[in-house]
Amino acid sequence: MNDERKRDLSETGVSAGGYWNPYLAGLLLGATLLASLLVLGAGLGASAAPARFGAWLERAVAPEHTCNSAYFGPWCADGQNPLTYYLVLMFAGTFLGGLFSAILARRIRVTTERGRAFGTGARLWLALIGGCLVGYASRLANGCTSGQALTGGAMLLSGSLAFMVCVFVGGYAAAWFVRRQWHD
Amino acid sequence: MIETFFGRDALGTPAAFVAALVIGLAFGFALERAGFGSSRKLAGIFYLRDMTVLKVMFTAVITAMLGLGFFVGLGWVDLPAQVNLLETRYAAQVLGGLIFGVGFVMGGWCPGTAAVGAASGKLDALVFLGGTVLGSIGFNETFGLWQSFSEWGAYEEPQFAFGFSRAAFGLMFTLAAIAAFHFAEWVERPAGGGKYLGTPFLKAFSLALLVFAVALFILPDQAPPSPMRTAAGQPAGDVEAEQSLLADIDAAGDHIEPEELADRLLRGESDLMVVDVRSPAEYAAFHIRGAVHVPLADLPAALAPHKNAGLIVLYSNGMTHPAQARDSLARLGFQNVCFLTDGLQGFVDRCLKPVSLRDEPLGAEDAARVNAWRVFFLAAAEPTPPAAGQPAAGPAGPVAERIPGLVETNWLAERLGRPDLRIIDVRPQPEYNTSHIPGSVCLNPESFRGVVGGLSSMLLPSDVLARLVSLMGVKPSDTVVVVPGAAVRDATLVGMVFERLGHANWAVLNGGFTKWAAENRPVDAALPAIQTADYPARTGPDAFTVDYQAVLRCVGDKRTVIVDTRPADYFRGEKSDEARAGHIPGAVNRPIKEDLDENGQLKPAAELAAAYAALIPSKETPVVVHCRTGHQASQTFFILTRLLGYEDVKWYDASWTEWAARPELPVEK
Repeated sequence: MNDERKRDLSETGVSAGGYWNPYLAGLLLGATLLASLLVLGAGLGASAAPARFGAWLERAVAPEHTCNSAYFGPWCADGQNPLTYYLVLMFAGTFLGGLFSAILARRIRVTTERGRAFGTGARLWLALIGGCLVGYASRLANGCTSGQALTGGAMLLSGSLAFMVCVFVGGYAAAWFVRRQWHD
Repeated sequence: MIETFFGRDALGTPAAFVAALVIGLAFGFALERAGFGSSRKLAGIFYLRDMTVLKVMFTAVITAMLGLGFFVGLGWVDLPAQVNLLETRYAAQVLGGLIFGVGFVMGGWCPGTAAVGAASGKLDALVFLGGTVLGSIGFNETFGLWQSFSEWGAYEEPQFAFGFSRAAFGLMFTLAAIAAFHFAEWVERPAGGGKYLGTPFLKAFSLALLVFAVALFILPDQAPPSPMRTAAGQPAGDVEAEQSLLADIDAAGDHIEPEELADRLLRGESDLMVVDVRSPAEYAAFHIRGAVHVPLADLPAALAPHKNAGLIVLYSNGMTHPAQARDSLARLGFQNVCFLTDGLQGFVDRCLKPVSLRDEPLGAEDAARVNAWRVFFLAAAEPTPPAAGQPAAGPAGPVAERIPGLVETNWLAERLGRPDLRIIDVRPQPEYNTSHIPGSVCLNPESFRGVVGGLSSMLLPSDVLARLVSLMGVKPSDTVVVVPGAAVRDATLVGMVFERLGHANWAVLNGGFTKWAAENRPVDAALPAIQTADYPARTGPDAFTVDYQAVLRCVGDKRTVIVDTRPADYFRGEKSDEARAGHIPGAVNRPIKEDLDENGQLKPAAELAAAYAALIPSKETPVVVHCRTGHQASQTFFILTRLLGYEDVKWYDASWTEWAARPELPVEK
């Protein structure tokens, strides 16, 4: 690893690059999505797995309550394990696929990604709150950037296209308030 | 045609899990290659510094959209049947999108990229995923708050492309994406990016996308839903063939008059095949003698052995479906198919209507013809075909097997969510509103009764019932499960509706909602999304409801057993809410309470069988059941016909209310 590269892989975790041409990466992603639609009959999905894990956790703590709850209840019906679901497997695949690619590109480094001028703790709090909002919103909209925006968008489903537009509207509206986390 | 795991209802199988894992591997690999293992790179789009998200996401969406467009347009995949289409719920998707966007820019991740970020060692990705789990749990705890909100802008059918044609919208989308790519490259320049702006690569890439998007216009927007297209192996647009088809229609070679069909059947012509394309339930209730039952979609395969040999006559209640089916078959090369003018309704009116009921008097010759048809088609109505020389519709037989009268909770749980399942909850509305089986509708069992000719609380005529169940979205091919609360008789009264409609596949949920809830099975408080249907009305009375004259004929007839299901003190005449106290002479008393256990549920079948064996000599014995209004007796009718297999059970709907009010009828105390 040369010096320049080392400098770039500083505590902020900014990689030196070596990424694919984004349009080619997009082609591979689109082909994967198409394969998912034609083989599984369902598109890509990522937010279902954390939600299923949430149901599994809640059931471990309060089984009665969870199995009678309106949203998670059907996932636990008949003593079923909420994790026995194809999108949980897809999520595991996504993690492993990312790991494989990151190893090949030597991009693995345990770090908290942030601007140099921003504290690690504050960055992690923002990540946690952001994660909560995303988890909640994904259930409300029945999907995330993968399930709604990519998959529904590719099928030209009106509701998914509306979701996609609103993600950017919400993102741009809030961007100014959290800009400091990336200030160096 | 491509068959997907979703299309085979096999997404829960290990094979699907392996496929999902492999697709996930490619997904994660692509995300990481794009640079989405970095939250700084992801967030870049919101500060117009690094537009990778836009480039990758729009390329992926356009790629999959165009690819799917070709698969659908070429008829290789049937979109609604094989691919899970996300529901359109504008309010939930708009608000969800807005909140998601805020969370995305705060956290710097979305769930898929966070998985890749975590794999790359990013702690903020791991914390973000923890938040996603917490947010999901939070949603489960507050789900009830959104019930009415998420109904806003909700559609029963998924909406596409805001009403544009998909090719037109796809082209606009592609053009917008190409413009966005160029904008993204331009806007990145100050930060040292934008290296593809003006390069031959981006020009060629844009042009390629454009060419594919335009090419989509030459394909149909959606593959025709019929299986004929693939069966034929050729496109349906052959102009010459269409012209000869139209000429045939013009020459009236496409239909046959009912009288001609009746005569030919009466003569026993062997090269004639009559095909009923209605639902199995309608076919089982009545069909033209000698007709076989074939569902519309199975016609090409089932009729293949008879292609251009003899004459094939299609019929339904009306003419639309058989006419469409005939045209499809003609395109597939069937030259010997026609349909019945005026449908079954016309056949009944023109051939089978009794001479005495006709508006115009018939000559002696025509009257004799009608009588001969009536003898042939009505007197010897076969319960089940096929007759000798007629091909069977399939190895399974043409008539659907009837489900048991009582179904268990696990039977229902396994079928929950099936499109052909209708669940009717007959508990009081407040109980339903708080909690019910997902997808069930709430029904007051009294909704199907009313005044008929001066008699109160009568089950309404079948045409009214057909209309009412249509509004509930029930189709003849549906399986109906009625869920009782405290009173089984409420469910069996609703069951009488389906008996009258000739709808064989209905059942009562054993143990009712109480058992379902006690077993912790899924419940919700949502209103189901149901599309109204068009349930065909049956003509004429049903075969099991009797009036007081028929009951009077049974009085003194030693063979018939009249079962009075009212409480014993009413039977004995000690109590009375009616014009007269007592019971029909010779009737036996079996109060419905005696058929129930201490929880108000039906006793085990063996116990019931023993009790009724003591009252009724044999399964063939004619039985009449009645109570005060017909409601309680519906429970006994159900037990005798559906659980114990009594073959000749009649229901005196007007019951004691009418009997007591007619002073000329005999009463015993």
